[in-house]
Amino acid sequence: MTATQDFTPQIPNQAEEVEQLHRSWRHPRGVLGWLSYTTHQAIGTRYIITAFIMLLTGGAEALLMRTQLARPNNGFLSPDRYNEIFTTHGTTMMFLFAVPMMEGMAIYLVPLMCGTRNVAFPRLNAFGYWMFLFGVLFLYWGVFTNAAPDVGWFAYPPLSGPQFTPGKRTDYWAQMITFTEVSALCVATEIIATIFKMRAPGMSLNRMPLYVWSLLIQSFMVIFAMPAVVIASSYLLSDRTVATQFVNPAEGGDPILYQHVFWFFGHPEVYIIFIPALGFVSAIVVAHARREIFGYTAMVLAQIANGFIAFGLWVHHMFATGLPQIGEAYFTASSMMIAITSGVQIFCWLATLWTGRPRLTTALHFIYGFLVIFVVGGLTGVVLASVPLDWQVHDTYFVVAHFHYVLIGGALFPLFGAFYHWFPKITGRMMDEKIGRLNFWVLFIGFNLTFFPMHIQGLMGMPRRVYTYPAEMGWGPLNFIETIGAYIIGIGGILFIANVVSSHRSGRIAGNNPWDADSLEWATASPPENYNFEYLPVATSRYPLWVDRSERAFVTGLRNDRREALVTTLMDAEPHHRYVFPASSIWPFITAIAVTIGFAGSVFNPWYIVWGSVLSGLALVGWFWPRGDSEAES
Amino acid sequence: MTEFRTIDVSGLPSYDVSSQSPLWWGQLMITFIEGTMFGILIAAYFYTRLRMDVWPPPGDQYPHLLLPSLALVPLILSCAGSYWASESAKKNSRLGMIAGLLLNLVLAVIALAMRIVEWHSLNFNWKADIQGSYVWAFLGLHTFDYIADLVFTAVLLVLVLIGRYGPKQRLGVHVDSVVWYFLVLIWIPIYVTIYWAPVFAGSQQ
Ligand code: HEM
Ligand SMILES: [Cu+2]
Repeated sequence: MTATQDFTPQIPNQAEEVEQLHRSWRHPRGVLGWLSYTTHQAIGTRYIITAFIMLLTGGAEALLMRTQLARPNNGFLSPDRYNEIFTTHGTTMMFLFAVPMMEGMAIYLVPLMCGTRNVAFPRLNAFGYWMFLFGVLFLYWGVFTNAAPDVGWFAYPPLSGPQFTPGKRTDYWAQMITFTEVSALCVATEIIATIFKMRAPGMSLNRMPLYVWSLLIQSFMVIFAMPAVVIASSYLLSDRTVATQFVNPAEGGDPILYQHVFWFFGHPEVYIIFIPALGFVSAIVVAHARREIFGYTAMVLAQIANGFIAFGLWVHHMFATGLPQIGEAYFTASSMMIAITSGVQIFCWLATLWTGRPRLTTALHFIYGFLVIFVVGGLTGVVLASVPLDWQVHDTYFVVAHFHYVLIGGALFPLFGAFYHWFPKITGRMMDEKIGRLNFWVLFIGFNLTFFPMHIQGLMGMPRRVYTYPAEMGWGPLNFIETIGAYIIGIGGILFIANVVSSHRSGRIAGNNPWDADSLEWATASPPENYNFEYLPVATSRYPLWVDRSERAFVTGLRNDRREALVTTLMDAEPHHRYVFPASSIWPFITAIAVTIGFAGSVFNPWYIVWGSVLSGLALVGWFWPRGDSEAES
Repeated sequence: MTEFRTIDVSGLPSYDVSSQSPLWWGQLMITFIEGTMFGILIAAYFYTRLRMDVWPPPGDQYPHLLLPSLALVPLILSCAGSYWASESAKKNSRLGMIAGLLLNLVLAVIALAMRIVEWHSLNFNWKADIQGSYVWAFLGLHTFDYIADLVFTAVLLVLVLIGRYGPKQRLGVHVDSVVWYFLVLIWIPIYVTIYWAPVFAGSQQ
């Protein structure tokens, strides 16, 4: 409490009030208590840790592949095993690492940046996490019982259909999608409600931090894109388990339609991953260049435009299926258009850095790394948008190079920057900057060593998804370099973990605002208490912590003997009414179990849909059943 | 004492049964999600239709039009019950909530019964061909949501009847009406697709 005193007003009976807050926000005890947590810090941290473990798992799979490919005619992995591993790697990275990681960060940061005490629906939040975790366990249960999916991360029929892939592999894959989509949709819903209705008084839309904007846009993209993949995976699953004909050409079904539906999700998916990463970049650039963002309005508009355009590009993944020429022209043009909105953002960051007083921290190193790698990945993207070139390099390592440049450069580098930037807030301690810089250079060099040669290798004609290649092709040397690069990335990962572990134990104490940053999460203790703020802050500017202390303002008069926050109006964030959060509860966990029984069981026997629905219905009644006096009219 | 300005909010109400509530927005997002899902399925239906010469596929009957069209009447009227309940929830009128929810439930069950009778008369199932798959998917998904919301409405009715309700439950009644309007509204394009598309976009030899 002492640590936050200089940021909170001196109120006569402050000590008592804070004591009350402590009591009403305390976590329940014991194992059951642990399963009942609903605070956003706890749930966000769980997401982040689980997703990080998935990054390590996907990374280990990548190393297995790179080891196999190190030299021609290698026999380290069998062809079948190789298929399983690249599929599991792609699936893990996209569905179980990247999206949940971005969501975990958002769950942790958005309520803090908005100046409130929790996400709008804390129980839904807990439920979403359990669904994600059960999805992870479900897929990896398959992997470890020799039923790993092996038809690529987008599982095109007819290969993935019942005739060509009997067994349960693809069913595990398809149902894992359902788990993670439920989770993603829960998060999107609660993030939108939090941003729309629970911002600090005074934080009108045009004062919202760019990171919060990015999450608002990303959440809407989740809402409009994820239903498509639910449909795609349900096509597969129902064709495979109850003999519908959605993707069966013999009865009028259409495998190309599957591709359309999948990519209507799949393209926005990459933006769902990297738009929050752009939000990290904005937050870090502002804090570490110690300057207001250059072109706030342009940034917001460019991000919104990005969100819209992302839904008009999906067919560029399908150029090789043969399109009418007008379709080719349209999707080429729209794909190239994304370079404009991305370019606007890049120039705004550069201008901010140029005119600011940048402090060369590790976090900023990762942002510079992002700028370089992402621009390269973006340029190959523009190249791939042109149909003749796409035909030439389709399904080669050129594409593998491109998407790792945008995914790792566009999402992973900002994410590591974000880890270095927010670690002090989350743990209360600083990360080591020396190891940090080493960490950056190892990752940066390892990354380029791994993925740059893939461009050339792709142009030389090496197809993706092959378990080996003959020596005569001359692809050996490049592959060998790439494998070395991949191991260097692995060392970078180990350095990062070592830094986290040692800093967590003995890093320098951070204090509230070690970077002298601008946004509200830095206005409270590190790590924040469960209630985030003793008195909710008022945002008197776009950079609330950079205004003069005398300009600051706070909210008083919320009840502290129960979990309360403030609902404000959508546009101007004027106080509207007080909001009572539900208490901690075991019901989200129980409901997630019930839903899991339905989802997991239905892979084996469709009747489980019915049993699962009945159980879930009962669990939901338990969830919403009124109890305690906090529900009564007051 | 304080050098900071403060805003005292102790005078504000601790709930609001209206679209100002976060829950209302959450519910709206859920309707967006489901709306997108049905929208994509409808688009996929017509995409598939365009790629087939004969529609409905040989052997499939043209669905009947009379019963499903009649079923629209109780369905649309049930929104009135929902509206009544939600307005009463805002005003905290117990009687109004009971009457509205009851009306909503009764009419919805009648519409559902009519739908099921018609469903029973289809001469194809989901395995038969691609039209079968889509029609059963539309009916299955929408009916699933429909029944789920009926159960939810029934639970709310019980809570109001036994008097175990406060602002949260009243808000529940209010957002329940949002879901219900959505389910009724989205049924209309689905109804047109299932029952009318084979007529106006069909071609059977
Ligand atoms: C950490 C270093 C990484 C390495 C060394 C690596 C390496 C690879 C390799 C060797 C392949 C398979 C190429 C083939 O045989 O076709 C691959 C595929 C893929 N990777 Fe990575 N990767 C890494 C990180 C990531 C990350 C962070 C993501 C996403 C966020 C990602 C997403 C994918 C996807 C989607 C595929 C395609 C899978 C498929 O073909 O179905 N990778 N990666
Ligand atoms: Cu794309």
